[in-house]
Order: sequence, then C-alpha cells, then structure tokens
Amino acid sequence: MPTIDFPKRDLDILIGQPFTLTELDKWLLLVKGEIKSYDADKDELKIELQDTNRPDLWCAEGIARQIRIKINEGPHHYSFFNPTKKNIDKIMVAQGLDTIRPYIAGFKATGYTLSEQGLAQLIQTQEKLADIFGRKRKSVSIGVYRLNPIQFPITYTLTNPDTTRFTPLGFEEPMTLTEIIKNHPKGIEYGTSLIASNGKHHFPVLMDSKGTILSFPPIINSSEVGEVRVGDQNLFIEVTGTDLRMVLQAINIFAVNFADRGAKIDPIKVIYTGPTELGQEFQVPYNCSPELEVSQENVSTVLGKSLTLKAAKQALVEYGYQVKTRGKVLSVKQPSYRDDLMHPVDAIEDVAISNGYNTFPATLPSEFTVGGISESEKISDKVRELMLGFGFQETLSNILSSKDDLIMKMNLKNEHIIEVDNVMSLTYSCVRQSIIPSLLRVEAASSHSFYPHRIFEAGEIVQPNQKAETRADTLNGVCALLAHPNANFSEMHSYVDQLFYTLGLIYKIEPTSHESFIEGRVGNLVIGEKTCGLLGELHPQVLSNWQITMPCTVFELILDVLPKSHTS
Amino acid sequence: MSTENLSTQEKQSLSNLHPLEVLVLKDLHKNSPITEVSLVEHTGLEPAQVSMSIGWLQAKKYIQTSSESILKTVSLTPTGIEFSKSGSLLEKVFNSAIKYKQNNTPLTMKTLQANLELQASDLSGPIGALKKEGSIRIGPGGSLEPTCQESTLVTELQTLIQDIAHGASNYADRPETQRKTIDIFSQRRGRSQEPFRIDETTIRSFSLTTTGASIANNVSTTGVKEGYAQLTPEILKDESWKTKTPRPYNIALRPPRIAVGKKHPYRAFLDKVKVRLVSMGFEEMRGPIVESEFWNMDTLYMPQFHSARDIHDVYFVKDPLYSESISEPYISQIAQTHRDGWTTGSRGWGYPFNEKRTRRLVLRSQGTAVSSRTLSAKPKIPGKYFSIARCFRYDQIDATHATDFFQTEGIVLGTTITFETLLGLLELFAKEMAQAKKVKFVPAYFPFTEPSVELHVEHPKLGWMELGGAGLLRPEVTHPLGVKVPVIAWGLGLDRMAMVALDIHDIRDLFTSNLDLIRQKPLPF
Repeated sequence: MPTIDFPKRDLDILIGQPFTLTELDKWLLLVKGEIKSYDADKDELKIELQDTNRPDLWCAEGIARQIRIKINEGPHHYSFFNPTKKNIDKIMVAQGLDTIRPYIAGFKATGYTLSEQGLAQLIQTQEKLADIFGRKRKSVSIGVYRLNPIQFPITYTLTNPDTTRFTPLGFEEPMTLTEIIKNHPKGIEYGTSLIASNGKHHFPVLMDSKGTILSFPPIINSSEVGEVRVGDQNLFIEVTGTDLRMVLQAINIFAVNFADRGAKIDPIKVIYTGPTELGQEFQVPYNCSPELEVSQENVSTVLGKSLTLKAAKQALVEYGYQVKTRGKVLSVKQPSYRDDLMHPVDAIEDVAISNGYNTFPATLPSEFTVGGISESEKISDKVRELMLGFGFQETLSNILSSKDDLIMKMNLKNEHIIEVDNVMSLTYSCVRQSIIPSLLRVEAASSHSFYPHRIFEAGEIVQPNQKAETRADTLNGVCALLAHPNANFSEMHSYVDQLFYTLGLIYKIEPTSHESFIEGRVGNLVIGEKTCGLLGELHPQVLSNWQITMPCTVFELILDVLPKSHTS
Repeated sequence: MSTENLSTQEKQSLSNLHPLEVLVLKDLHKNSPITEVSLVEHTGLEPAQVSMSIGWLQAKKYIQTSSESILKTVSLTPTGIEFSKSGSLLEKVFNSAIKYKQNNTPLTMKTLQANLELQASDLSGPIGALKKEGSIRIGPGGSLEPTCQESTLVTELQTLIQDIAHGASNYADRPETQRKTIDIFSQRRGRSQEPFRIDETTIRSFSLTTTGASIANNVSTTGVKEGYAQLTPEILKDESWKTKTPRPYNIALRPPRIAVGKKHPYRAFLDKVKVRLVSMGFEEMRGPIVESEFWNMDTLYMPQFHSARDIHDVYFVKDPLYSESISEPYISQIAQTHRDGWTTGSRGWGYPFNEKRTRRLVLRSQGTAVSSRTLSAKPKIPGKYFSIARCFRYDQIDATHATDFFQTEGIVLGTTITFETLLGLLELFAKEMAQAKKVKFVPAYFPFTEPSVELHVEHPKLGWMELGGAGLLRPEVTHPLGVKVPVIAWGLGLDRMAMVALDIHDIRDLFTSNLDLIRQKPLPF
C-alpha cells in the first residue's frame, strides 16, 4: 500500500478550493485513502492509499482529480488524446527489443515552469510508479528530460555496451554501459532486469537524431539532458516497459498530471518495426480503455434492487467514467489513466463508492442457517474440558519453532519436519510436529512459578506425509505435562486412564522405545490396532537440554486419529 | 464470678482463647507484671510458644508492656572458642616476640605473618593492643621487641576467655576492668575475628490491662472449655464435639496458593468468539496449515506476480517444494480465469498462468484459503461458515507483529446476498463482537472482493477502530470453484480487542511461555 506526502496547500490548489482535514477525510473515501499524519508546521500531509490497482491515485494530482470530478459532477476532457493530423515528433523503435523491453511512449510538456514542489512531486510519482506499479522498474520505468537540447526523432534501440558511453546522472565522467551495469549503484540494482529469458544481456538506449544518448532504460538517465531542475519550462517524458497497456497507462497518468498543473501536452508518434496490438504506429498518450457493458441485472445482483440503471449511470459519470446508454445496458469506459476494469463488478463498486457506502441501507441476511463446530474441534473441546477438570492449566504457544527445540533438545535424530525455506529467524523456522516441545518451553521458562506444574495444550501440529495433497497433515492434538519433585509415569497414567474412560475409549499401553524418554518408562497409547499417542517420563538428557531441573512426565494424543464414533 | 455474668462480648472473647493464651493468662493472673523468661519457667512452654501467645494477647489488648530494660550478655564467638583451647592471638604474638628476643633474632612483621600464617590486617589489632599496654615496642627495622617478660593484658584476656567459655554471662555484672577488656576484644564491624560478642536483648515485663484482668480472672476461676482446631473423624465418632468448642479461625488471613486448572486467557477469548459465531448460525470449517499457492492465493484471484506473494510476505516450505497436482476442474478453470477471465465475464489478469508455481507449498498466509477450499467442496446454500485459522507471515517479530497468529474469517453464501446484506452482517458483527453501536463503512481494496469494505466501529473502550474487512467475492473467485450465488467474505481483526480484554500490550504475550503470567491472568469475559 503506497504512502505519499505532499503539502496540503498543493492539494487545495489542485482541487480548486481549500478543505479542512475533516472534510478531506470524507473526500478520501473516494480514493480509498486515509490521512496518516498532518504536520501543520510544514503543511505536510501523509496519505496512505489502499488500492494497488489504481496507480493514478498515488500522487496529489490523482487524488485531487478524483475529488474534483465528484465536485464538478463529471470528468474533464483532455484534448491531447484526440488523434491529430498535424505532423508530430516521433520515436522510432529499432529491431531486437521485443525479447527484452519492447514498448515505449512519451510526450512533451511545455508552457509550465517546474517549481520546487512540482519537481518533488514529479520525482515521488516517478518512484512510486516505477517501484510498485512497475515492479521495481522491471515492467515499467519512467524518464524525464529537459526538452530543449533534444533533437527529434528519438530512436529507441539496442546498442553495443562497450563502445556506447555517456555520463550517467550522479557521475562526472562518461562510462560505457558495461561499466554502468558493474559500477553505478542503479546499474547494480536494476541491471538484472535486462537479462532476457534466454540468459542474454541486452542494452537498450534512447538516442536523439544527433546521436546524443538520453538514457539507458530502465537504469539511468544521461546527466546532460536527463537532469531536470527547478525552473525548467519544457520537458520530455517517456515510459518504457514490457507490457504495452501498462506503458500506456503510465504515460497517460503523467500526461494528465502535467495537464492538471497547467502544462500543454504535445503527443508523440511511436513507430515500431512490426505490428503491436494497437498497430505498427500510433500516437501517444493513447486511451486504450476497453468498453464494458453493465446491465440492470449486474447492478441489482450486487447493490440490491433499489438502484436504477439511470442512477448507476449518474454515479459513474461523477466518478470519471464515460457512459453511454445502449438500449437496456450501459456501455462504460474508464478514464485513460485507469486500467482496473476487469469485470462489471469493478464498475459497480465505483457506483457504490461514488454514491458513498453509507447511503446504502444495511439489511441482515435473512436466510436461516444452522451453526456448529467441526468434528475435530468438538473432540478437542471435550478433551480440553476434561483436562481443565483434572486441574491442568491450559497453555497456548506459537506453532512456529526452531529445529533446535523440536529436534536437538528432544534428542531426536533426522526426523523430517516442515521447515521454512525463506527463514527470517531460526527461532521461527519450523512447524511443530509435536506439542511436547511447546510445553517444555513453558516449563523451562517457569521454574520460578510455584509447583506442582500441571499444564496442557490442545492445538494443531503438522506432520509430513508424502501421500497427502499438500504433503503434510495438519492434526489436532493434545499434550499434558506434569512437573514436580515426584512427577512420574504412574501419576500421569491415572489421568490418561480417566481421560480414555470418560471418552468411552478402550486403550492399551504398549512398551516402546523413544529417544526423548527414559527406557522402560514410555509407552504408546493404542486403540484397537492404532497408535494414537504416547505417555512417558522425559529423559534426564532432554530435561538437561532444556535446562529443566524438575522431573517431567508427559502424554500426547493425536485427536484426529481417534475412532470417529466417539467424537460426536 | 461465673460466666453467666459475663457480657456476650466477653463470652465470645473467652471462647476465642487459644490453649496457649489460657496458660499465659492464668500465670499473669497470679504474677503481674512478669517477664517472658519467667513465663517460660512458670508455664513450661517453649519460648517460641510463649512469645507467640504474648503477641496474640497484645493484639487483643489483654496485656501491655509495663517496663522495658536492655540486657547485655557477653559470650564467645567461634574465634573465642578456639582461643579458649589454643590461646589467644594476643598471646601468640607476645610469646613470639619473647622467643625471638631470647634468640637475639629481630622479629619482623613478615616473619610473624609467615609463622602464624596470617595477613598483616589480622595482626594490627593485637599488636596495637600490646603497644598500647606498653609490653612491646617497635624496634629498629620495624622489628617487634618485648619490654617485659609478662603482659597483664594477655593473662587477663586468657582468664576472661576461660571464664566466659562456661556460658554467656551478664555484661553489667562484670567489674569495670573486665568490661574494658571485653570492649577491646569484642566483635564489631570490621573486627570479625574477635573472641567476644555482646548481645543486647530487651527484657519486657507484661501486665494485664483492665479487660485482660477480667478475662484472666474468668479463665482462672471458671476455666474454659477445651477447644479444637480441626474437626476430625475421631471427634465425630467419639462425639467429643458435644463438649469441646471449635475455635474460630482468623478468617481475614490470605489463603495459601493452590495450583488450579484454568483455560488459557487468549483461548478463553477465542472460545467466546467461537460461541458467538456459532450462535449467529456460522458453521466451523478447517483447512491445512501447509497449503499450496493455488488454494492460498490463485483461487483468490491474486495474480502470480502480485507483490504480496513474494518471499518477503509469505513463508515457503523448504521440503517438499510442491503439492500433488491440483484436482480438475479447478486447476483448469482457475488458470483460465487468470489468463482471460474464462466464462466469468471478466477479462482476466492476462498473463501466462504458471501451473507449476501454483503447486508451490507455503505456510497458510490468510484464513481465506480455508474459505476457498470450502467453496470448492459443495458448500450449503444458504450457508454461513467461519474459521479461526492459524496463519503465518514473513514479518519482523515485535510488539505488534507475531510470526503465527489466529485469523477469524469466513463466508456467507445465499441467493439473496447483496452489498446491503454485507453491510447488515458487518453491523451485526460490530454489535456482537465489539459491543459497538456506531459503525462506519469505508471503501477498501482486497484482490478477491468487489465491492470491498472496511468496518470501523466505535468500541466502548478503544474508540474508533478498524474491526475487519469484507466484501462480495469476485465472480473470478466463485465461478471457477463452482459457486454461482453471491458470497460475502469477511475477516475480523480481534487481537487488539483481546489484548485490551486481557490487559496486555505486547502481541507476543498472547502466546507467552511464562506460566506465572498465564496463571495470574483473570478471565474477564
């Protein structure tokens, strides 16, 4: 979720009138935005925006635009999207870019002086778009240049990385592209995005008709023409990327942003070497929003019977859509800077947002349903109730743990447990396969708490199982621990006996051998032919591993393997 | 005077007396004032018993301190006992000086230390005392030289040690010369190796108060019934309870601690949530913790390039890497929906869906994964489902972020479900879960719902807070899983409310290993 900041005054100017913070709070419902903070001394407003599919809103211009449309009850028309017959400047796309970064778009912004604020906003928008929308410049990146030194047409072409050189931003001396990839901080950070799926490294550049290098997208601009300063009046903005629709959306956002600040936008013609989904050559900025049909049924299904198609149309217009009524359906089209209309429901949400969520009556679902808990939780709750009655204190643990706790300290060898691949902290890198370590962790941390300790935990464990759909079983279990100077097998056996008796289960204890327990004092709990748990005195070595100095006896039971007839 | 003439209060006081108190009162009735030592002699009780009953009687204001004096007694320390057997250090120092003089060898401090195996600091006391007496002096080269053949101080000290070795004695009874010697050689701060110790004890005499005198009189003249502390099977069997009186307890005392069985406070909270949801007609659903990306994300229409799916947000399983193949028709329908919308009326995400990536195993990162499984498993229509699911996020652990946590979420399916019923349900949650009367519905964004809404409520204690997020599931989610009716998906953030109810300020304490903390938490709900 992007967070952006700008002076509140800037927003007031862009909206066309000043707002109090309370008023702004309400208007921000239109953009799924929330005021994070406001520094009155610096006039700095910090706003968080929720919708990851609305990059047009990640700037003061976009927020102001959405609010302005509502106030003006309809969108502004941007004439630079209209096809022009005039002879306009061109960008020529050379051969060979289709496997790496095929698309480019651009425009000229003139008649507007870049203020300090304007520059700061421009850089912020550029960064948010390239980083979040452009996935760290991989899909989309943006370049801004001083227009005057550039001689059109511009060529977007691959080049020889060892002979092509220019002075990148932030450096004094010319460098070759190979050097930039190796030594320039941006080259190191973004260089890998130029490696094609076949492993080949490509080196695209933008070059004007004099042969001046403008930039090495998506890495870095040339400092000669690509360093924009406060006071600059004429700019050239371009977007390159891997996805044509995303490139166009990004260039459209910048174009309307500049237009909203008073700049004149001059479109540019991009000429490819072969056909694209929009033809071989076309003018940009370009509105490629698809038209979608919204029916009364679509509206009623989502928003209820009371809203007419006519009312929906008005709400959409007041949210920036172009809407035409075609017989019994609406044909809707999003503004050029948006591309998040996948399904009629997307437009319908905008209807609801445009009208305000609080204008809809809240009605309770009327259909009757029977509530209940799962079979697994039923048995778990029953066992918990019994354990509480036996006088055991319940505990609750994190189920992510460490190999040290789950395997090493338990004296186990090479037991397969579910481990995390991208470990953040070794303490939380494995899912518990047993609840016993969870209880030993409590015991180890609680020697100061008065004895006796009779504790238990009911909860989930995860055991690898090659035959399971996700290669592991999530099982409900219960585990109890006794710790006091005389804690022994016999005392715990009494509780286990009571537990099974009360559950109506006939069990037997079969002697077994287990690394965590004292030999001869551990047994499997068996029902019929099925082992469903164990009971035993923990081995002094295990207790010593946990730095526990009190005898401990435990039993653990996998509740999900108990015979089903007894669980309801 | 018989008990019949006593006031009710006095009768009660009589029956309240402990047998020990009775014995002490009886003696005081005869000998008042009297010291504790004399009481021990007269009653034949242990000193501790006498001292205990004096405490009780003072608290009841039956007796008072009539006079107080300080008794100083002198006794031997362990050092003193050793000196009584092998001679004092003073003596050893003086004798060494004599012996070296006879051999015409100078006795230096170093030699003396080596011979006696002592530190210089241990010797400064005795040497100082002998120098002061004048029986030794410091000669050339710092050697110790005797000035006479015998030291009075040495003799006097040894006599005193032998004398006091027989038993502690009254300091004040000794003649002044002896008291001076005792003062020099008694233990005090910085002089722990001295032979004598002086103890001061306060000797108090007690006398009866007016009330005490009347009670003591009664006790002595008419006596009290024999009392008992614990009613025993024997007393019941021999019927002696008919003649004995049970002594009342001091019921204001704090009871001893016992270990009891209680629910874990956070689980008790979650149990209540569960009961509330069941009472609203929700049925519990469960799902696996190790989940495939398919169920955890793809079914929820999160594109495979979505940033919330990378290694900085989700825990991936190390081994094995992939689930078994996803069953048809779900895999084909979901893949097609991501590519071009399939038949959902959507244009889809428009990217090549990776059918291997979809099987990548992760630790469930959102409870909605359980919902998508339920949707695919022929859910009831109308139907209401919930789960309180353990979820995992790749997050730095701190006071507000836990590595694994419970998500309470669910779905509602029905032909009459709309945005209006979604708001109605959320209003009900606000009332039932947070006792909130005021709600606000705020537009929100989730990849799997449209419209999406955040529920803000005015909590009685916390003020305005976000209680949860919800929405109508996108057709891209429901249709490929075989559900044709509208579905509400909802999730509630209850941890903050739990923390307030349990009065904890660190989310990690919800899963604390500290048994004291768990035992001490009240369960106030």
